[in-house]
Parts: sequence; structure tokens; C-alpha cells
Amino acid sequence: MKKIVLLLMAVCSMGQVALAFCGFYVAKAGADLYNNKSEVILVRDGNKTTITMSNDFKGDVKDFAMVVPVPNVLAREDIRIADRSVFSMLDAYSAPRLVEYYDQNPCEPVYEVEEDMMLENIAVAESTMSRVLRDKVKYRVTIEAQYKVAEYDIVLLSAKKSGGLKQWLLDNGYSIPAKAEQVLEPYIKSGLKFFVVKVDLNKYNPTANGGFLRPLQITVKSDKFMLPIRLGMANSKGEQDMIVYAFSKTGRVECSNYRTVQMPTNKKVPTFVKPNFANFYTDVFRNQHSQQGRNAVFLEYAWNVTPTWSGVKCDPCVGNPPYAREFLMAGVPWANANGTTTYFTRMHVRYTLDKFPEDLFFIETPNKEHYQARYVITHPAYGDLSCAEGKRYVQRLKLRRQQELRLLATLSQWDTKEFYDYVANGTDKVRIEEESDQNELFVVGGGNGSEGGPPRALFFGFAGLLILYAARRVYSLADSFTFS
Amino acid sequence: MIQKVLSDMSNEARDPRYFQILFLGTFLLYGVSYLGWQNETSKYIALLASVVVTQLAFTHYTTRRYSSIKSALITGLGLCLLLRTGSIHTAILAAAIAISTKFLIKVKNKHIFNPANVGIIAAMLLTNDAWISPGQWGSSVLLWFFVGAAGLMMILKVGRLDTSFTFILTFGVLLFARQVLYLGWEPSVWLHQMSNGTLLLFTFFMITDPMTTPNHKYARVLWSLVLAVGLFVASNFFYMQTAAIWLLVIFSPFTPLFDKLFVARKFEWEGIPLERNDTVIIK
Repeated sequence: MKKIVLLLMAVCSMGQVALAFCGFYVAKAGADLYNNKSEVILVRDGNKTTITMSNDFKGDVKDFAMVVPVPNVLAREDIRIADRSVFSMLDAYSAPRLVEYYDQNPCEPVYEVEEDMMLENIAVAESTMSRVLRDKVKYRVTIEAQYKVAEYDIVLLSAKKSGGLKQWLLDNGYSIPAKAEQVLEPYIKSGLKFFVVKVDLNKYNPTANGGFLRPLQITVKSDKFMLPIRLGMANSKGEQDMIVYAFSKTGRVECSNYRTVQMPTNKKVPTFVKPNFANFYTDVFRNQHSQQGRNAVFLEYAWNVTPTWSGVKCDPCVGNPPYAREFLMAGVPWANANGTTTYFTRMHVRYTLDKFPEDLFFIETPNKEHYQARYVITHPAYGDLSCAEGKRYVQRLKLRRQQELRLLATLSQWDTKEFYDYVANGTDKVRIEEESDQNELFVVGGGNGSEGGPPRALFFGFAGLLILYAARRVYSLADSFTFS
Repeated sequence: MIQKVLSDMSNEARDPRYFQILFLGTFLLYGVSYLGWQNETSKYIALLASVVVTQLAFTHYTTRRYSSIKSALITGLGLCLLLRTGSIHTAILAAAIAISTKFLIKVKNKHIFNPANVGIIAAMLLTNDAWISPGQWGSSVLLWFFVGAAGLMMILKVGRLDTSFTFILTFGVLLFARQVLYLGWEPSVWLHQMSNGTLLLFTFFMITDPMTTPNHKYARVLWSLVLAVGLFVASNFFYMQTAAIWLLVIFSPFTPLFDKLFVARKFEWEGIPLERNDTVIIK
């Protein structure tokens, strides 16, 4: 007995400290920008988290600025520059897929990996003592460290008051969204530091990297496994999307303070979805997002991607699986060591302030079940179908296509009436004579009965019983209180 | 004759465990139908079957009071609602351990650990295949009311109102002071943390278990106060996301100590109509 208790105590009292990430883009000259879509690579190893932030900034680079709350003052070796291609590579590999005849990536094409991760030497900026002292007195802001990393100028700040931090940022040429101050306060009080980035125009080469700024990668140490999305909501209008590519040694990563929901998968959809797959999936996502109350995190891919593991890594593969170089770039160096396993989880979150009041917290689980968001199209048979079996096939085909249309309506909310021909004439050589059945086609939406039908009925049965029972108890309770 | 059966049924229905089973069952079905847990159905069946079998086996060799199956079902449903695992074997192991501890680890004829709680912890420690998904419930205010109201009914009947309320109030006030008053987050952040389904289930269904909480009222208040402070510290300063479950298993061994310091009568599920249960004993 004692042994177990002691063991539990040991497990419970491991470490503390705190982390955080994910900033907002702040414009330096009032440029109109907000980050509606961002991509993040999140690597968890023990209490170490490596975060790589995509940078889709389009505009004058002198206007670019980013503020990220971090748990500790980062050392130089904790800050790296990654290659943009790692994001498109991971995206292409893990994106929701359409299978059968054509494997298509609805998102970006796969870029060839051309260069290795850049680990450039930096010259620590000589910050004069007088300036540091002035900042400390005037703003109650301390410059903990300053680095020049490739094209970026990085300052690590700690602050006592959000007002002072905000003023420091303003006076140093960063324009801060009006609502940011009230969000900075809780982070300051939690003891977080601020990782403040702008572009060094002398180092920036507009012709390199397709004119884009390269992603920054930081490593922080903390028991808190989270992404601070609250800062990013300070200057954003409406919904924002974030794709999280998470890597762990144990299994799936899931969100611990919001529901993690799997996207519908292995659904048979009509063949005409093929050329419109990106639109189709966007609509499926929008539909799921609202159905789940707009406050869920969606799982789009979860798989063992260990390079030495010989199993199938995707079915079908939309892109090349990540290998040594990509793992290194993504901040997963252990993936290449022998004897370690690497799990890859892709999550998609669409968030607004009212539905996501709290930052995103994550948990590593030992869940090793493979999952991919996968949609299936089945092309019909061609040729002469006049034999008996052929006729039955045509009937089955018609039924199947009706089901496909219904499923399409449920999943994407598309109006399937306009695809009437899909059942009637869609099979080219196959013509369906009977007019009578075609009315069934217009049974649109309504849900597909095979999903959650019986449990739902059972649920209502149980809930009804519960209410009856409760009512009965209240009644008899009230009864016992009457004077007799 | 019919009247006797009806009155027996009505007497039997007074047992709060029926309500608990009905409620937890509804909650589980809600998860299966609306929260996408349908793929787990086989594990739920395995869990429920194993708790019943284990309970039957132990009961057969001990008290032979087979009405205790109800308690086993509650444990099974609690496991279904909180424990996540990738394999049926782990589910069976958790269920067997949960029920066994009830019979094997006892002080003064009162089991020490909450069976569902210890089942979950054992599965997590012994296998590499069990976990808790604190976010699986989402957090809607509606859920709050549902769990709260149903939980209230439950504890009113068992008379463990003090435990749940001391716990949730202490934790809520501490969390509010930290998150809203000190750190300066909006109250919505606090509300979001408070309406976590796992926290609510824990509050209204796990720590209300009359068999593993202290017998004396003051002892229970003190016990849940300490638990709430512990949970607050563990989740806010040590960032343990599943702290509640771990803390309960650590705190449980102190229950006999509380019982020693504050003497009170032990709770009996079938306390009121005692003689009726004697008929169930098969000799």
C-alpha cells in the first residue's frame, strides 16, 4: 500500500514552471493586417516544447512585428530559423484526402526541399547599459536578452505592468492593438517573458525565400503544454484558423480544455466531388464546426510516422512522408534516433473569442490508433451492362449514388437537387428507365440513419426515464414535507 | 400480491443508486450519440460486463448480498465515462482492479479507495494504454446545469451535499481569485474552467461516494476542503491536467484517519428498509 502511495506522490510533484506561445502580428505603421490562418509545429518531449511558427506575412517587411509570450528567457540556441518548405511538406502529407482514382491535395502543392535548416550565427546586439537602465526605470520593462537571428531582430522582455510594456512597444515603433493591453496583464502576472520580433532590414533579402519571411522556431521548457491564442485574438476580426502539426513520442496529442473531435472519415461521396474537393472539404469543415458548437478542435490526421517503422503511414499518401531532414527542420531530432517512436497529429481549430476564452492546452496521450480524414469516390463500371448481373449492378449503382448524394448533403450541406443527373444519367452508358424511384432522390439532408441512430433513441429513453424518476422523487419528497 | 410487489418496487426505487445508474447511463448515451464516442462501445460493454462478473464472484464468496451489483454498475459506468483506452484488455483489467480493491483493501469494514478512481489510476500505471481526456466533454453551460441538477438530486438523496458543495465552492472561489482577480482574465475564462465535464462528474459523482468519504459531517467538510485546495494548487501551479483523479487516490487513505478523529455511524446503502434485503440473501 505504502509503496503505491509514495509512487503516486512522486509522479505528482514533478517540476513546475510555465510556457506559452503564439503571438499576434502587430503592424508598425498601422498597416491593415490580421492573422486569419496560421500554422504551428508543436513538438513535445518531456517538458520541452519546440514551437515553429509559420509566417505568411505579406506586406512591407518593415511593418512586420510579432510578440510571443514565453515561459523563460530563451538562450540563443533555443531560437532557430526553419525553412518554409517544412510547413507545406507537413501540410501536404497530413491533409484530408480524397481517394480512389485521384489523390489530390486540396491545399498547397508540395515544394521540393532545397535547403537545410539554417542555423545562422548571430551577433548579440550591443545594447548600451544606459538604454537598458532607462527602460527599466521608465517602463518597468527589462530587456533580458537581445539577439540577431538571420533577418530577425529579437528582444526578450520581462515586464512588471502591461501599461509599461505596451508603452515600450509603442515607443519602440511597434503598434499594438487596442485590446492587447488587457491580455498582456495576465501573462505578465503569470511570470511570462515576451519574445518580441522585428525584421532587420539590412539582413533581409527580398528575393530569397519567395519574398516571404522564414518561420521562427523556439524551444521552451515548461510543464504547461499550451499555445497562447489569446494575444492573437486582440487584433483579429472574426474567425481564425490554425493548423497544429504536433509530434510526440507517446501517441496522439489532443486538446485538454476543449473537445478534440475527429472529422468524419471514410465517407463515400459522389464522383463529381473530385474536381471540387477543396471546396467540399471546406464546407464539411464549416458544417462540422457549427454542428459541434464552434468550440471544438478537429482531428485531421494521427499516425505513427517513425521513419524506421515499416507499417503503412497513410492510405493513400497525399505527399511524401517526413524523413530525417524534415524531422530535423520541424524540431523533432529524436525521430531519427533508433528505438524512438514518433507520432504525428494534425489538428485544425477555428476559433473566436466568445467560443475560445481560454488558451489552448494540450495533453500527450498513449493513444496510438491511426486516423486520417479520408473521403472516397467510386467510379462506375463502363461498357456493356445489359446482362442480368449488369442490370442488378445498375440498380445497386443507382442506390449507391443516392446514398452518396444524401451523405454529401449531410456532410457539406450542398444542395443536391442540382446534381439530380448524377443518379439518373451520371453513369454515361447506363440509363435508368424507371421514373418512379427518382423521387427518393429529393430526400435531402435529414442525416444518415446509420450514424448514432439506436444510441440516440436509447439516450432519449434513458433521459425520459431519468426525468420521470426525478419527478417522482421530487413529488414524494414534497409529500413527506406536508403536515400530517 | 400485486400491491405487495408494487410497494416492494417503490421501496426498492428509493435506493439512490438507481438514480445514479440512470443518470450515468444517460450521460454515457449522450456521449455516444452526440459527442462521437460510438467507436468505444465495445470497451463500454467490456467494462460493464467485467465489473458485474468481478462483483458477482466476490459477493458469492463473501456477503452474498447481490444487490451490490448496483454499486458495481455505478463503478463500471464511472469507468466508461472517465477512462480512455485503446484495448479491451486494459478495460477489463481496470474493471477487475476497481472492484477487487473494494473487497481487498478495507479498514474497519469500509473500503478505502473509490473503485472507479483506483481502477483508472491502476490502468494508467500498469499499462501504457490508458489515459484520461479532460477535454472530452467540452464545456457548455448547459452541461453545467444538467450535471449540477442531476448531481444535486443524487447527493440530496445520499446526504453528501456537504462534500460536493464544500469542494466545488472552495475550488471555484480559489480559482476565481487566481484567474480573475489576480491574473486579470475575464470571468469567461473562469467559467470555462469550471464547466469542464470531468470536474463536474468528479464533484457530483465521485467524491459523493458515501463508502469512501468520511462518516462524520465535519470530517467530510474538512476532507473536501483539503481536496479542493490540493486540486487548485496542483492545477494552477504544477499544471497537472488530471490532478483531481490523482489527488483523490492519494487522499483516500486518510479517510480512516478522519473516521477515527470524528466518530460517526457508517453509511449503509440499504440503511432504511433493512429487513427487506435479508430476503435477497441466498443461503
